[in-house]
Amino acid sequence: MIYPDERGYFGRYGGRFVPETLIPALIETERAYRELAGDKKFQQELQFYLKDYAGRESPLYFASRLSASAGKARIFLKREDLNHTGSHKINNTLGQALLARKMGKKRLIAETGAGQHGVATATAAAVFGLECTVYMGSKDMERQRLNVFRMQMLGAEVRGVKKGSETLKDATNEAFRDFIRSFEYSHMVIGSVVGPHPYPMMVRDFQAVIGRELRRQFLEQEGGLPDRIIACVGGGSNAMGIFYPFLDDPVELLGVEAGGKGIEPGQHCATLSRGNDGVLHGAFSRLLQDEYGQVMDTHSISAGLDYPGVGPEHASLRERGRVEYVQVSDREALDAFMQLSQMEGIIPALESAHAVAYALKIAAALEKESSLVVNLSGRGDKDVEEVARLLGGDESGN
Amino acid sequence: MEIRNRLAHLREKEEMALIAFIMAAVPDEDLCLDCIRALEQGGCDLLELGVPFTDPLADGEVIERFHHRGVKLGLNLKRGLDFAARVRAACQLPLILFSYYNPILQMGLDSFARDCREAGVNGVIVPDLPLDELGRLAGQGLELIPMLAPSSTLPRVQMAADLDPAFIYCVSVRGVTGVRSLPELEIKDYLQKVRAVTTAPLVLGFGISQPEQVRAFQGLADGVVIGSALAQIIEEYESRPALLPGMLEKRCQALKLLSYWEVRS
Repeated sequence: MIYPDERGYFGRYGGRFVPETLIPALIETERAYRELAGDKKFQQELQFYLKDYAGRESPLYFASRLSASAGKARIFLKREDLNHTGSHKINNTLGQALLARKMGKKRLIAETGAGQHGVATATAAAVFGLECTVYMGSKDMERQRLNVFRMQMLGAEVRGVKKGSETLKDATNEAFRDFIRSFEYSHMVIGSVVGPHPYPMMVRDFQAVIGRELRRQFLEQEGGLPDRIIACVGGGSNAMGIFYPFLDDPVELLGVEAGGKGIEPGQHCATLSRGNDGVLHGAFSRLLQDEYGQVMDTHSISAGLDYPGVGPEHASLRERGRVEYVQVSDREALDAFMQLSQMEGIIPALESAHAVAYALKIAAALEKESSLVVNLSGRGDKDVEEVARLLGGDESGN
Repeated sequence: MEIRNRLAHLREKEEMALIAFIMAAVPDEDLCLDCIRALEQGGCDLLELGVPFTDPLADGEVIERFHHRGVKLGLNLKRGLDFAARVRAACQLPLILFSYYNPILQMGLDSFARDCREAGVNGVIVPDLPLDELGRLAGQGLELIPMLAPSSTLPRVQMAADLDPAFIYCVSVRGVTGVRSLPELEIKDYLQKVRAVTTAPLVLGFGISQPEQVRAFQGLADGVVIGSALAQIIEEYESRPALLPGMLEKRCQALKLLSYWEVRS
């Protein structure tokens, strides 16, 4: 079975739930994407930018000190943090910006939570000479100030969204509104495997370079496939990218959601673990919502995971039992953040720290020689200020 | 049938239908009911009742504020339907419920259709269900109002026409709801394109606020929806609730009378 089907469904999940106004733009985008996906010249051009501009391939690193401290299992890191702009987001924005240019669009619109996708979109806009507007919740602008400056320096306009939860969810609403008004000359670069068809498919395909590289690297270095792959899941793009090429292999796939402060509603964003079926931002997927279908506020220490929805393909993989979705708390993520920094000299993004935390959690119980790959989706420079604040607060007893 | 009959009757009289959009139970139930009575008094022909939702991505700034206010007041689809029943008792206008899809999905289609019938709702608009997905609400006896946009291609216009709807909601701009001026010629072309395919009544909405706009589309559209302009009046006068209904009534009269006299003069 090849997912998605021609209507954009992964099993029961996916589709297009947007105002009729936007449908022609989505049809046009899908047509252009399908054409270019099979176009050799386009793929070569994308390869060129991924390699000479973004710095791919990203290394696969055996973290020996971290492994030794955690238990017997061997922990590898797929170093997406070493990409240009500091995360996996650039894989997708370069692809979509090239697509936008081929479609004759002059302007990119993006939503951003932690700012990583916003920075990656602003970067792609700069290198391809496109205008760029990024929507960001005002709460996120505060906790990710550094990325706001970066986007502005790259020539993007950052529009703060002071509505609803003032985070990624509302920034996404606002980006959609802009897209509905301006699609004749603008392309919306959705940053995760969410949104209406063809976005979940398109973003997955652009991110699947992570998994394809990993497969080749692991084969070369270790002569086989890894036993387990772990990735954090907010919308789910880095996880989808690293999982996708392994879906048909005997590899255990684990998606780690943000457990936040606890299981009470509003205190976490564990959509797959605790949500139910619903429609948000153009797709039928899993959703954190109240009994009346109002979308809930969420909490995570990591702005990039602070989102009540999740990509429809993840919802489908969960239902089929192909991927197991688990949770890690704010506290555990923060501990992993410090541990990776001090044991390996790698400061991870708080998002990626969730995946590291789960790896550490299970490594002790795993058998010797068992191998585990963590997708280190981003670097933590952007989080340094926030973590310092949190740790400072802890020490003073606040 | 209520909606079809009312629109057929107006078409016979060559009169533009005026459809007023108002958010359910905002600022509060009683004031909202007063506003609705005033709209009926002012000559509005049908009422579109909005249900507050946390993520109203088809709506522009003004209506969006009402969604967020409604959510803060604890409103939801169930309370929206309870309120619809009160509206039904308070006025004679055919009633169209405007709700995003997720609350309907959570309620369950059977319960939603039953509650709509019991509340006296005559039609339903779901702004985030495009034509391809409208079938999800089929088979429950609901009068579903499809939407089209200037960007809609001919096959999509045909899809809407094939539904044999009570009317087609023609979004008048490439955008979200809001008060703004329209590119008149473009809208006329678009209405003619749709008209060539269907005899269903065409109702123009999103961005209508002035009598001159209503006049411009006389004969091409069967009606207009006015929403954000009314919401702005509500925002301006809600601190003086005694004046508010009168202001709404006057705005309706202005829109309605003008269209009435235009035809006859």
